[in-house]
Order: sequence, then structure tokens, then C-alpha cells
Amino acid sequence: MAREIAIDPVTRIEGHAKVTIHLDDDGQVEDARFHVTQFRGFEKFCEGRPLHEMPAITARICGICPVSHLIASSKACDMLLAVGIPEPARKLRRLLNLAQILQSHALSFFHLSSPDLLLGMDAPEQERNVFHLFSSHPDLARDGIRLRKYGQQIVEWLGGKRIHPAWVVPGGVSRPLSEKLRDRMLEGLPEAREVTLRTIQAYKNLTEDFREEIRSFGNFPSMFMGLVTPQGNLETYDGRLRFMDAQGDIVADQVPGSDYRDHIGEAVEPWSYLKFPYYKPTGYPDGIYRVGPLARMNIVDACGTPLADEELAEFRELQRGPALSSFHFHYARLIEILFCVERIEQILNDPDILGQRVRAQAGPNAAEGIGVAEAPRGTLIHHYRADENGLIQQVNLVIATCHNNLAMNKSVRQVARRFVSGDALDDGALNRVEAVVRAYDPCLSCSTHAAGRMPLHLQLIGPDGALLDEAKRG
Amino acid sequence: MATALIIGYGNPLRGDDGLGQRAAELLEEEFAGADVQVRACQQLTPELAEEVSAAEVVLFIDAAHDSPPGEFRCRRLEADSRASASFAHALEPEALLAAAHALYGRCPDAALLSVGGEHFGHTASLSSTVEQALPALLEMARFIITGYTA
Repeated sequence: MAREIAIDPVTRIEGHAKVTIHLDDDGQVEDARFHVTQFRGFEKFCEGRPLHEMPAITARICGICPVSHLIASSKACDMLLAVGIPEPARKLRRLLNLAQILQSHALSFFHLSSPDLLLGMDAPEQERNVFHLFSSHPDLARDGIRLRKYGQQIVEWLGGKRIHPAWVVPGGVSRPLSEKLRDRMLEGLPEAREVTLRTIQAYKNLTEDFREEIRSFGNFPSMFMGLVTPQGNLETYDGRLRFMDAQGDIVADQVPGSDYRDHIGEAVEPWSYLKFPYYKPTGYPDGIYRVGPLARMNIVDACGTPLADEELAEFRELQRGPALSSFHFHYARLIEILFCVERIEQILNDPDILGQRVRAQAGPNAAEGIGVAEAPRGTLIHHYRADENGLIQQVNLVIATCHNNLAMNKSVRQVARRFVSGDALDDGALNRVEAVVRAYDPCLSCSTHAAGRMPLHLQLIGPDGALLDEAKRG
Repeated sequence: MATALIIGYGNPLRGDDGLGQRAAELLEEEFAGADVQVRACQQLTPELAEEVSAAEVVLFIDAAHDSPPGEFRCRRLEADSRASASFAHALEPEALLAAAHALYGRCPDAALLSVGGEHFGHTASLSSTVEQALPALLEMARFIITGYTA
């Protein structure tokens, strides 16, 4: 008799989700699905709002990555105003985005994933949490806190507050950076760099213990997508889209963000609120691609900063061609933290950053605006249509986590087939299913534009649809 | 580091959940220049652990879901890491105290001041029931802080 296992909720991720694992008559895993079970519908209720409200409204999609939405939304609104923003404003927005990526990656690595990595996938569930980490690895925990605090502090200094800063506006930013604040940001950089380098070394020392997970955690051929500079280097604010196939061949390059619909289609499935974007020329569902740190490290020619490039060279030794295992998201995330620290330093040392002209003023001048930027979890697209008065008529949001939906489902299937069998769930197997989801660091509040943190529900289901076993956590 | 740390937390766009931040702002004006640090935030995060460990006393201020609307309560807190076992990115105050102790070797005296909320819907205003309870909460906060800073 076929059966189903359910993990509900998935823990240590952002938002609400469940995983169902379907067993065949022999008790082997036939299928597994990652379901996102919440919905808010920002795309609908933003209709009719004035364009100037859009950054502040869409930032409320998420308490974790509001900055990413502020930036993508403001870029879409810049296009509706048909303005080029002043150079200091562009650099300040870039600085804010880097600080946001830094603090978000630190949260993902130190607080959400490190219990699995440092305490072990098979550690008892009641011990596999951040508090046991505080006891067992207090130095690393303190490092994580200080690194995240540094990123959050920059966001707060620039935006006026850590969560939902209203400083990024259509046309630029609302006020320039003072020399005093610039200097305070620079003061924190040496410690941030030191902590990051120490953490990367610690991570590399422990990966030997995870050979099996590296082999089976979302380790499959797929395409990769992200923004790159005109030179093909890592880009987080401007840039154009690059698509790479599983062999490492670039199949589309320097695609303007405004042309995303020529390359990306969006499918839906009845069992999840999360959309399923796919690479249009290949079709659905074969056009599976990944975004975020792993994809960015795969597609770029270089990071463009010295220390991150040294690490990228080591990353490239993981595999001939693109690194295909989603376990390597962790390593890629740490390299990106290093990149953020270095780029923040470069930007702060640029005299332009203190420029006083930071906002272009204009009324509505275009009917369509598309803003694209790299969020911590991948490429974020805001696409608006507005009437002649600047009232929003249509909204489409393609969120980083959505791009990875096909890949997350495939990863859950792969891990379930490798680690789950029989009628019941053992804790180590269940945790590995969750851990592969965590590797992507999904933000379901963003991707369904829904509220809340993300516990997970896992169900084991037989072929007749009977619920065999389930686990709910969070 | 400050002798007293006040942390008012909650979501000011969800009605009475904004109590913590509102009280923190009022107390910040009152204690400006004193040996008191005030934080207004949406939720408790591990980044607060270092500041918590350095204070003599910490007052957490929050709206309560589990007490009658408008009822003011003051409860002494002890460190307890089990309070946020499934930690994602927000902590309970007891868990934050435990983090302060585990990471920085010190856990201050601490209390939770709360008022039972009436409405947690989409509004930036407190209900009149909670507004009426606010003076009692502020008075208790003053009383405790003065005991440590006088």
C-alpha cells in the first residue's frame, strides 16, 4: 500500500511550508513535494495605489528582506518617472543592498543552518538548535551576532531603522550620507572581515563530515541565473541577466532586466502558493534553474574583489563546471559575505558617497516600470504598469525564492529518496529533508508575499492517499 | 554601557501590538541623558544579547495575548533557553536572557511589563483599553529603573 509522510511545519526557514513524501507499494519514496501554504496577495491589492507608495508598501512583504523590495520597487518607480538617479544615490542604494545581503546571509548561516552543520544532522532535535550552539560553539555564535549586527547597523544608519527603512524612494534616496556616519561604518569593517575569514576557514574544515549530504542535497544538473556587470562580474544592484546551463555554457547574457519575460515563464501548481518560474526557451518543467549565492558564484567570471576572488578560485575547484550540489549554497553564501565586506569598503572610500544631490524629482512619465536587483536569496523583479496619473494598474513580482521553487522540489525529492524509507520518519532523515530546504534559505514571506516565520509540516503518504506519519514543528 | 535597558517590542502597525514601542518612545523622552538605554524594535533578536548582558536591569515591554484586555502585569523573568526552542529569527525574553548568559557570561535582573491587548488588527493606534493601562505600566517602569539608577 502506498503512503505519504508529512513534515509540517518546516523549521528554521522564513514563512510556512510543509513537505509531503509519497511512498509506493514497496515503501520506497515515489515523490516528494515542497508546499508553501500561505498567501497574502500583494500583487492584487497594490493596484490603484500611487507609484510613490510602492516601495514602502512592498517592503512590508517581508520583515527579513524589506531592503531588497525597497530597492527593486524604487528601481521600477525610477523607470515610471523616466529618471536617471544621481550617482551618489545609486552608490548609497548599492551600499544599503550590500549591508542587507551581509546581514541576511549571516542570519542564514549562523542562526538557521549552523546547528545542522556544527551539531550534526543526526543530533537529537531538542539539542539541534541555536541555544545548544551558544553553549557548544560560543565563539562562532558571538561572531555571527557581531557580523549580522554590523550589517543591520549600516541599514539602520542609512535607513533610519533596521526594519522597513523608508529612505530609498523613487528617484534616489531621501537624504545624503554624513561624513560622521561614513566613518563609523568604516570603523566596523576590519572586525567584519576578520570574522568572515575565520568563519570561511571553519566551514571548510567541517565539510569533510558532509560528503554524503554534498552528494545528495539537491545535486543535479540545472541552469543558473543572476545579474552580472558588463564585464561578467558579480553584481547586486545594477547589471544585466546571465543564464548558464548545467555544463557551464552561457546560453543568454547581458539580458536587460526589462526583458525578463522573454526568458522567464511562470507556472502554477494547485498544491502550492509559490509560483514556479522556468526558463522559457526550455519550457515547463524542464526549464529548471537556480538563483542566489550558488548561482551567482557559478555564473560570474569573477567577484571583482581580491579576497572574494581568492575564495571563488577555491570554490571553482569543487567541481569541473558549475557546482551542482545545493549544499554548496552555504559556501557560496560565505564568499558573498566576504564580497559584501570588500565592496562596502570600496564604496565608503569613494568620495562620491558623500555627494549631496541624491534625488531626482519628476512626475509620472512612463506606463511601465521594471526594477531588478539581487536580493540575498537571488534575483528579485518588480514589474509595474501605471496610468498617466501614476496610479498602479498592474503588478507582477518575481521573487528570489520563487525562481528556486522547481529546484527546491527536486532537492526535497532527491534527499527523501536517499534518506527516507519505510513507514515512519527517523529524526535524522526528517532533518535532512528540512536542511536541504534551508540550504536555499527560502523566504516564503516574500515569495508568497505572506506574513510570518516558516515552520514546516512533513507528511508521509501512501499510494492510496492515506496519511502514514507526520511531523509538525515550529 | 547603561545601567538600565528598556526594550519595547512589537509591531506598531498591528494595533495593540504597538504597545511596547510606544512605551519605549515615551520612556526614552523621559530618561534622556540618564544612565538608561532604550530600544524600540519589532521583535527580540540575538543581536540584543550583548547589550542585555551589560545592563544591571532589563525591562521588556510587550502587549500580551494571554491576559484580559487592559490588564497590566509585571513579571520577574529568569533565563530559559527552552522559551524559543524552534528559534527562527525572533526570541522570547527568557531566551534572550539565556543567550546573554551563554555568550557573554552575565544575566541581568529582568522583568516583563505587559498589558493585555484588545485589538491586533491592521491599525497604527492602540485601543482605548490599552491606552488607559499605559500610565500604570510607565509608572512601574519608572519605579524599577529609579531603584537601579538612583
